[in-house]
Amino acid sequence: MGDSDIHLYTTSTPNGIKISITLEELGLPYQTTKIEFSKNTQKEPWFLEINPNGRIPAITDKFTDGKTIRVFESGAIMQYLVARYDKDHKISFPPGSRDFIEMTSWLFFMNAGVGPMQGQSNHFTRYAPEQIEYGINRYQTETRRLYGVLEKHLSDNKVDYLVGNKCTIADIAHWGWISAAGWAGVNIDDFPALKAWEERMWSRPAVQKGANVPDPYKMKELLQDKERMEKHAAQSRAWVQQGMKEDAEKNQARSAKV
Amino acid sequence: MTSLLQKVIGGGVKAEKPIKLYGHAGGPNPWKVAVILRELDIPYDMEIMDFGDLKKEPFESINPNGRVPAIEDPNTGYKLWESGAIIDYLIETYDTTNSLFYTSGAERGQRAWFVLYHSEKDLTSALDQYGGEVKRTIGVIDRHLKKIGQPYLCGEKISYADLMFMPWHWLVLYPPHVMGEGFPKEWESEFSEAWR
Repeated sequence: MGDSDIHLYTTSTPNGIKISITLEELGLPYQTTKIEFSKNTQKEPWFLEINPNGRIPAITDKFTDGKTIRVFESGAIMQYLVARYDKDHKISFPPGSRDFIEMTSWLFFMNAGVGPMQGQSNHFTRYAPEQIEYGINRYQTETRRLYGVLEKHLSDNKVDYLVGNKCTIADIAHWGWISAAGWAGVNIDDFPALKAWEERMWSRPAVQKGANVPDPYKMKELLQDKERMEKHAAQSRAWVQQGMKEDAEKNQARSAKV
Repeated sequence: MTSLLQKVIGGGVKAEKPIKLYGHAGGPNPWKVAVILRELDIPYDMEIMDFGDLKKEPFESINPNGRVPAIEDPNTGYKLWESGAIIDYLIETYDTTNSLFYTSGAERGQRAWFVLYHSEKDLTSALDQYGGEVKRTIGVIDRHLKKIGQPYLCGEKISYADLMFMPWHWLVLYPPHVMGEGFPKEWESEFSEAWR
């Protein structure tokens, strides 16, 4: 373990803080590089070597063979970190156990369900250049449905955490998204057990520490202040639209060649 | 990593009894699981579910999210949901000869969970912007294949990272031609490595 050399490439987003929180919960040393979306750092060649998809988070580490390894996709990074470093199963379970399998199911539920749907809800609620009711309704409704699945699971089973009644990577993966519910137009007060879980997670020192990487965590204050919310959305909208425009131009150039 | 898991489960289980796979007629995700079961030669029975039966009991006890695929494995007593989690489980439990899996760590890292970002894409949406995102992700795969100069995502051997893309790619290559009927031709000329 003394041979690790973890370098985290990240930005203050729900997916980015999954990894810094995991690292803090495990008490692992790591270096951080902030990726500036506004400067398109994520599309620079050196970063595409680390994540060919040009997205955060991604990590590099010194692997067991002494060479550098890259890992991209937040779910893959979390699985890599606990498989290699969580030998005492502080935030995971022994591979092959029932709890391990249930934890993996909720992790994929996050990465293939809550994250993408709530992400699209953010897009249509905050970043789209025009008000498209269909998109807003479709993704807010789906996000609420997924929140309902979490609410039912927590309240029916009367548990403090998603699996095995301890905080695991399944909880950590969800937290940044659930704590930003209001940004996607979802009222967390409609989901009391989930709201209590969110506060329980936030009371953990490692969650607070990890949430503040690389920039101070501002979502909670932001959601209290409508004017600042609109200003923040306008700034993000500009680079979201710029990125979409560039991708569309690339696709068009491709089609024109056919 | 495999050996640790196989130790816990018991040195690799042979699937004596057929696994029950819940799917539905449309939708690529259950077929990811079916492809893996076939490749690993695991006996299975597929139950085609009506959408109306997914969000109520008894199915909700198998998957609280009311979605397919889900499996019940009578050999181990496990019930699982989420296609990625199911495939993880099948590979680690039954792929004892590592036919679809790399055991060495560096290659396993290269395998890189392409599955995760691919399954995030909502291909059923008719919104134009997703068409652009589909092309962008195929472009990512194409560049990766060109760069490594190998026939499959992680090297010379097909692995489950490759197989999981297949049912999704059928959606754009064959009817219902989610990306339009001209798209297969565009793909062939523009993303030559990912086409082969």
